[in-house]
Amino acid sequence: MQDKSPPSGIDDYHLIELVDVTKVFDTTVALSRMNLYVRRREFVTLLGPSGCGKSTTLRIIGGFEQPTDGKVLFEGEDITRLPPYKRRVNTVFQRYALFPHLNVFDNIAFGLTIAKVHRPEITRRVGAMLDLVGLRGMERRSVDALSGGQQQRVAIARALVNEPEVLLLDEPLGALDLRLRKDMQLELKKMQQRLGITFLYVTHDQEEALTMSDTIVVMREGRIQQIGTPKRIYDEPKNAFVAAFIGESNILDAVMIRDERVRFCEREFICVDRGFGQNKRVDVVLRPEDLTLVPAEQGMLSGVVMSVLFKGVHYEMMIDCGCGALKVHSTSMAPEGERVGLSVVPFNIHIMEKVGEACPA
Amino acid sequence: MKRSSFAAPYGLWMLVFTIVPIFIIVYYAFTINGAVTLDNFRMFLEPEFVGILTFSLWLAFLCTLLCLLFGYPCALFLAGRDMRRATLFVVLFVIPMWMNFLLRTYAWMTLLEDTGLINRFLEWIGIGRKRLMYTENAVLFGLVYNFLPFMIFPIYSVLVRSDRNLEEAAQDLGANAWLVFLRVTLPLSLPGVVSGVSMVFMPAVTTFVVPRLLGGGSFMMFGDLIENQFLTTGDWNFGSALSLIMMGLIFISLGILHRFNPDAESNGAVW
Amino acid sequence: MAWRRLRMTYLGIVLAFLYAPIIVLIVYSFNAAETRAVWGGWSLKWYAELFHNKSIMDALSVTVSVAALATLASLALGTLAAIGMHSMRGGLSQVFVQVTNLPMMTPDIVTGISLMVLFIFAKAPRGYGTMLLAHITFDVPYVIFSVLPRLRRMNKHMYEAALDLGATPSTAMRRVIMPEIMPGMVTGALLAFTMSLDDFVISYFTSVRTANLSVLIYSMTRRKVPPTVNALSAIMFVTVLTLLLIQNLREARAGKSKPKGAGSQ
Repeated sequence: MQDKSPPSGIDDYHLIELVDVTKVFDTTVALSRMNLYVRRREFVTLLGPSGCGKSTTLRIIGGFEQPTDGKVLFEGEDITRLPPYKRRVNTVFQRYALFPHLNVFDNIAFGLTIAKVHRPEITRRVGAMLDLVGLRGMERRSVDALSGGQQQRVAIARALVNEPEVLLLDEPLGALDLRLRKDMQLELKKMQQRLGITFLYVTHDQEEALTMSDTIVVMREGRIQQIGTPKRIYDEPKNAFVAAFIGESNILDAVMIRDERVRFCEREFICVDRGFGQNKRVDVVLRPEDLTLVPAEQGMLSGVVMSVLFKGVHYEMMIDCGCGALKVHSTSMAPEGERVGLSVVPFNIHIMEKVGEACPA
Repeated sequence: MKRSSFAAPYGLWMLVFTIVPIFIIVYYAFTINGAVTLDNFRMFLEPEFVGILTFSLWLAFLCTLLCLLFGYPCALFLAGRDMRRATLFVVLFVIPMWMNFLLRTYAWMTLLEDTGLINRFLEWIGIGRKRLMYTENAVLFGLVYNFLPFMIFPIYSVLVRSDRNLEEAAQDLGANAWLVFLRVTLPLSLPGVVSGVSMVFMPAVTTFVVPRLLGGGSFMMFGDLIENQFLTTGDWNFGSALSLIMMGLIFISLGILHRFNPDAESNGAVW
Repeated sequence: MAWRRLRMTYLGIVLAFLYAPIIVLIVYSFNAAETRAVWGGWSLKWYAELFHNKSIMDALSVTVSVAALATLASLALGTLAAIGMHSMRGGLSQVFVQVTNLPMMTPDIVTGISLMVLFIFAKAPRGYGTMLLAHITFDVPYVIFSVLPRLRRMNKHMYEAALDLGATPSTAMRRVIMPEIMPGMVTGALLAFTMSLDDFVISYFTSVRTANLSVLIYSMTRRKVPPTVNALSAIMFVTVLTLLLIQNLREARAGKSKPKGAGSQ
């Protein structure tokens, strides 16, 4: 079921494995029978809307929550009942959870002092971390006196200094503004590649996930929807939920007539998908950038332009084709009220099983 | 070990030293010689006792009103934006509170007594001696003196924490200084007023020391009445009933005050 | 400007009202004459007498030792209780909060009487021990309500972060939770100590054999107050004043040396 081909540098060794993990809080099911493995040196992102169970998954791996059912394996060993302080993973918390009574240096050194590392060694390793996150010279500052971005760096350094096998990051960039977030994304990715540490990253920001990850795990309501490389997830979303969540898309009701033939908007299209059966109700995804504006009479579909927004690189137009409004991204523009045609190549028509009707993989 | 069990020793302690004693009081209040009865409460309905209660409530009410009247401006001025050395002033207001309560009251006795400084001053300027001690006013005076800081501080702490931008916004919207106070500052300070009022009214209505010392025992207040039942008359049953009535009164007035508090739980639904 | 002067004058008058009796006591403490009616010239004899007055000295040591012991006990009991209550689930924690509120809302006189009745019931002789028990009882809520808000304000992941970095639960408690709630503990202890020092009503009912200062002064005012009490007032006032000034100077200095925003929050 894990349709991922390992990118370079990742060996196929399963460092962490979740086996049938279920978590129930009082009456709500946060995770249901989750299966997942993470390979060494891999950057895995758990992606989904809030309440989808992604943070719970991370907390179970960190040891802060016990699964109701199922097992957590680390290098093949069952660590389900192991307390957090005995696990070789470290966490960067959502709001950093820095210790306000300690300065920058002591925050980063915390784990090392607990492990009774020798003082010169602590100084050396904390120093290296300060260099890594670019906070050299701020050792004696109170963490309350730092900006959000600096606090973020302290949190990362505090976790990384312990040389964990896996770094767990729970929406670490959520509290930063857009610019800083973009910079940190790149920096984190670089750090991960340089240090060769496995990252397990939680976010609800699809763009962040696409930028940084080797593998994305899309989750919804405690279930995994799709696992795959960013490209794969974007190009071939498994269902309408994934399609809607990753990037912008038009999702239409359709009927798969037979292999390579699909019908929507009262018209039959050629596509490349096979194996859905005959006359089966499906969802079709059309990415806005895959729809091409053509003269009305030449289009596979035609409709009236309802609105036009200038978005910088492209225009975003809503076009009413009779079967609902389609969002179109195009560098050329048609004025509001004009009738235009739309065309799409077969390769860009993505057929997906209906959500809910799809049996869990 | 679960961390919530840390509270177990405390729970046990409170059971023995708070819950059980209250149950003993309840038991005494509803029995006479072991027989269940309401007579203890019925006895309270005699005009003499109801009179004592109304007198206590009236005095406590006056005390609270005076504290509010004199204390609110203090709090307001202390929290003033142009107040220099505000912390020093606040400390100055705190210091007397740290003096032993009985010593403070005793100090007023030395001032108010017939041969005290005030009377000698009055004599000196030709008004002549006045009977100051052992009057209703002396008791009221002592109460106000003792409880004034308890009105100032809750109001001050609310005012000093309030968002100064709100006042500027009100000015920006055309309110003059008086209107800013009336429409913004005052409503925002209400939670402080409410806690100040409860911090003054409650101890004022239950006190028995101040009226004993400054009133010389010539005014019976509700606290005296209770103390008498236990230490002088030895009627524990009636005393317990009175204690329950007092607790009931306090809880009811706290409940009413809580209603008036716009800040209660719902968090700042002032408008 | 006139408005400002008016406000300062008002504050001055209120301060005068608050300080007048205290100043009078201090002045009288230096009065050589036996009665307040006459001024017999400056003298320190009441101070000398104070230290030879056994009942006052005994009451003083009772007051201070009861306050200190009650503060220590309530600090331990209350801090543990606050940590426990913080990790409780909704319903139970509500019960605990209400029970903690109870002694704070109950009038002193009712607390005093109900404890007195309990001690008489338990046939415990009312003296130093019962007074101490009573003081602990009314002190603990102050500690709890000072510590609990700090626990609530703490980043809830802080404890987990310590575990994550390899600290065992007890180490995490010592190295992360304790420093975080320390200011609350100090506030709670100070409040408890003050409440204990100042208490009259509850001590009055729960101890007959041992008097603390409040009870002693009360019994004196019922008869004739010796001028030594003036000296005692003066000493207590100066002590309080010094302590508060030191405290404030320390805070002011700490406030200056630290960058803004450091400290709490």
